[in-house]
Amino acid sequence: MKSAIKIIHWLLFLWLLLIILRFELIIDYLSLIFNYISLFLGDTSSAIEVLNFSFVDASLSTLIFLLIIPLMLIFRKRLHFIKGKLNFSFAFLIALCFVFLFAPIISNENPEFSKNLSVTKLLPPLSSVQQIELNPKMDRELTKLEIFRKNSEKIIKPPFNDNVIMADSVLLNDKIIFYHNNQPNEVERNSLNFKDEIPVIEKRIFLLGTDEFGRDLFTRLIYGTRISITVGLGAVLLSFIIGIILGFIAGYQGGLLDIVLNRFTEIFLAFPVIYLVILILAFFGSSIFSVIIVLGISGWMSLFKIVKSEVLSIKQKDFFSTAELVGLSKLQILSKEIIPLIIAPVLVNLVFLFSNVVLAEAALSYLGLGTGNSFPSWGSMISSGQEYITKAWWLIAFPGLGLILTLFSTNSSGMLLGKMINPRIK
Amino acid sequence: MKIDIIKTLFTRFLSSVLTLFLLVSFLFIIIRLSPGDPTDNYISAKLGTELSEKIAEKFSLNQPITNQYFAFISNIIRGDMGVSYNYRLPVFEVIWQYFSFTLVFASISFILQITLSIWIALWVIKKRKRWLDNFLTNSSIFVYSIPAFALGVALIYIFSFNLNIFPISGLKSLDYDYLPFFSQFLDKLHHLVLPLITLSAGGVALFYKYIKESMDELNSQTFILNLRASGLEDNVILRKHILPNALRPLISVAGIELGILLGGALITEVIFSLPGMGRLTVDSIFSRDYPLVIGCVFTAGAVMILANFLADIAKLRLDKRLIKGILN
Repeated sequence: MKSAIKIIHWLLFLWLLLIILRFELIIDYLSLIFNYISLFLGDTSSAIEVLNFSFVDASLSTLIFLLIIPLMLIFRKRLHFIKGKLNFSFAFLIALCFVFLFAPIISNENPEFSKNLSVTKLLPPLSSVQQIELNPKMDRELTKLEIFRKNSEKIIKPPFNDNVIMADSVLLNDKIIFYHNNQPNEVERNSLNFKDEIPVIEKRIFLLGTDEFGRDLFTRLIYGTRISITVGLGAVLLSFIIGIILGFIAGYQGGLLDIVLNRFTEIFLAFPVIYLVILILAFFGSSIFSVIIVLGISGWMSLFKIVKSEVLSIKQKDFFSTAELVGLSKLQILSKEIIPLIIAPVLVNLVFLFSNVVLAEAALSYLGLGTGNSFPSWGSMISSGQEYITKAWWLIAFPGLGLILTLFSTNSSGMLLGKMINPRIK
Repeated sequence: MKIDIIKTLFTRFLSSVLTLFLLVSFLFIIIRLSPGDPTDNYISAKLGTELSEKIAEKFSLNQPITNQYFAFISNIIRGDMGVSYNYRLPVFEVIWQYFSFTLVFASISFILQITLSIWIALWVIKKRKRWLDNFLTNSSIFVYSIPAFALGVALIYIFSFNLNIFPISGLKSLDYDYLPFFSQFLDKLHHLVLPLITLSAGGVALFYKYIKESMDELNSQTFILNLRASGLEDNVILRKHILPNALRPLISVAGIELGILLGGALITEVIFSLPGMGRLTVDSIFSRDYPLVIGCVFTAGAVMILANFLADIAKLRLDKRLIKGILN
């Protein structure tokens, strides 16, 4: 018997790999969480004050990360999908989910961090610089809150940090001399951060190089993946809700609403919707929420058609009239009788919708209408990298590759799903 | 039969007019809802509000919104789209300048997509190699998944920067005006090679998948088996019986694709800075050139409807029984 690699093996592999590679970081995060809990028990109001997005993000993803695989193993009898055979697109999509959920664990740098531009600008992949850590001056006794703040800044990297210096090379004498493009600079030895009597001077490797502002491309790619997937999932969810509710109403009741919605769908299916999306985003301003909402609203038409035709055919069936006679409310009929029946074709549609939305978001970001400068996304990375195409191919290659592989995996798993549901189509 | 066809045409025409009317009304509402007022440009510390009021009166912007809407609709019915703010020309003239390029560009790309995909599908079926079939099916999904801007930028990087074979952008060389006629033509073609590849790759992959799927399905049907048993050559079966039947599902997809292409190949035109409808539309949106925005979107909608109509006619030519389906 041929033994195939299953999805659960891939999940376990990724999980163990991350644990081995990021063991110290996970321990750091856990200690930070305990730190916070003790702070919370002592001084609740200031504990709530220091709560910020990146801390919540990091601690939540650590907890989920530690719990998810053991839980999956415990409930493996019920989860059928993890026994499925692994292929390339599933593997890539699962890796994408890992990146989406566990971004702070995969890279503990800040995507916006830029320092010493002359050293770190446009470095090719796998290049490295020396990173010197200075000791922040503290001349008084620290309170519990300040200790937490200090630890949290050490572990969760802020976008600005004056206590880090990047340099090409470092000389250790009684004074520390470091070089920026062959220009020597010096710092006092005692201002350095010491760990076990040794000054903290690390070799910082940029796995995928840096961009024009000296920011780590790998980290930006990880967080960009998050933005793209968030937009995709949000817009798909919105389309799903709108499409299923309107489709149900149009199929179930018909009447004027049906006619109006049909006409509306016809307009939108008979038109390059991207222009309307651009128009609305350009006129009303674009942010991550407006992108999600506009893409979600522009995508429900095909779903509406599917749901409507399915509801029309289900309406003829006996069990449907039984459900009505028993006295189920419309919401109950929708959730208990209709959704379980139509979920299969709808799911296939949603998968393709997801790939469309991700593509549309990238195209919008490319045109400068995406999620804005505050969040890196694949499209905006490609469009800003286009200026440096002669000098730095990696600025375009990696986000482009990520986008292409995501779309390919989504499309081919959508087709696979369609084949499973409707085996007549080859 | 003839009355049926005339009736069909008439209802189709009415419903497309209604669609376009709703589209334009929708645009009017969006533009009116959007923040910002065109007359704000004319307010400054020195001028006060007098000039802006004058402008508002001249363009009837101080009248109630319903009056403005009816004036707008009646102007459109009379074929007057207004004057573009940026170009200082009637909207139709501006659009015609850009649309003529898009028409040529889109038609070449469309023909390329159809012929290439059919040719590849026929070639694969004749070869009868399983690995080739699988490879092409997978790579067609892959090619279809490549976004236009990623492909365009990659092509520029490879062919323009590293190999220096094709120009980066634009439609004409610097010495275009001094070239003889035939070289002018070649020069334009030379500039269009990379944009055409960028625009057509996805379409070729999509069409290939559609044709291949329906050909495979037809291949296993009994009437083909019957023909084969009666001793007809494989080549004849493929060309005379499988291909026409396989084209039918393709045509509606092709209609939509043609409509999208004629509406403007947005991303491709932006990457290679070509003077087409897509870039005109986006530029007019960004510069808030409202009459031109409405004109461009109107054109894209009209072209889309026309393309779908052409697809229906093509389907009808292949199969006369479809008249009932199109009637609705």
